Amino acid sequence: MLDWSTATPAIGAAFLASLVEVVEAFTIVLVVATLRGWKPAVLGTGAALATLGAVVLVLGPLLDRVPLHALQLVIGVLLLLFGIGWLRKASLRAAGVIPLHDENAIFAQETAELSEAVRRQQTSQDWIAGIAAYKAVLLEGLEVIFIVIAVGAGRELLWPASLGALAACALVLVVGVIAHRPLSRVPENTLKFGVGVMLSAFGVFWTGEGLGVDWPGQDLALFVFAAVFLLAGLMSARMVRQPVPEVVQ
Amino acid sequence: MSILKDVLSELFGMFVGDARLTAAILAMVAVAAVLIDGTALPPLAGGIALLAGCIAVLVVSVRREARQRGAAIARPPEDG
Repeated sequence: MLDWSTATPAIGAAFLASLVEVVEAFTIVLVVATLRGWKPAVLGTGAALATLGAVVLVLGPLLDRVPLHALQLVIGVLLLLFGIGWLRKASLRAAGVIPLHDENAIFAQETAELSEAVRRQQTSQDWIAGIAAYKAVLLEGLEVIFIVIAVGAGRELLWPASLGALAACALVLVVGVIAHRPLSRVPENTLKFGVGVMLSAFGVFWTGEGLGVDWPGQDLALFVFAAVFLLAGLMSARMVRQPVPEVVQ
Repeated sequence: MSILKDVLSELFGMFVGDARLTAAILAMVAVAAVLIDGTALPPLAGGIALLAGCIAVLVVSVRREARQRGAAIARPPEDG
């Protein structure tokens, strides 16, 4: 029986994080399709998905062999590193300290770079374009796999988390095919902020459980942690947005 | 080889994007582990210390990065 108090944040985190990663990969695949046609784009994407599938097939059974507390601790620490890193960057972007991710600008830059690479190589131009799609999907896909394992493995929620990730892929694919341009209107930093909050909350939760902490309220503690991280992220962004007073020596 | 290098670089960057942030988080986990396993305090105290420590690390890290970037923008270009 699915425990929705744990499954909801796991599925939500997997969906939102995958949405961000798939939008980024889609931009590159679209560059390839625009420059060299859909054949290298689809072949590169298919090969990357096959590689990612092989990674899951190899790593999946290994997870069952790791003791639960050790698995929770390792994944919890990795989630803290990953989640707080995302939240920090999202706070800095929200405060205007670093620029927002712009899919249109990335599309233009990648188009220029791939055009140059293809121009230099007179032969096998489709091969170069296919490799670009392969790398983009593989690199973003690895992050999706980590997030799905991280939020799902500790409570045997790998399948629900995978479904959340697959739903994000399907959504981006459908909207991307209809729009046929970079999905620049996706509120990427807001999503990243939310994902950073969730991953950080999961990180504290799993790390604590791995160390032997029995959290009050069990899985409901996740919501409290998420609220605390959300407040801290918003507060940090607000603090650095304000002008720094001059120091009088 | 370039793809493998990119994959390894991506994996490294996922967890160790900022060495100071990584070190601070690992230090917080170590402190929590010591409180839980090495003292007579209830394990929940270690858990609360972990949560509070991670929040502090986040806030300090955002402020430090903002200050550094602000200083880099404010600093006039050097001659030569």
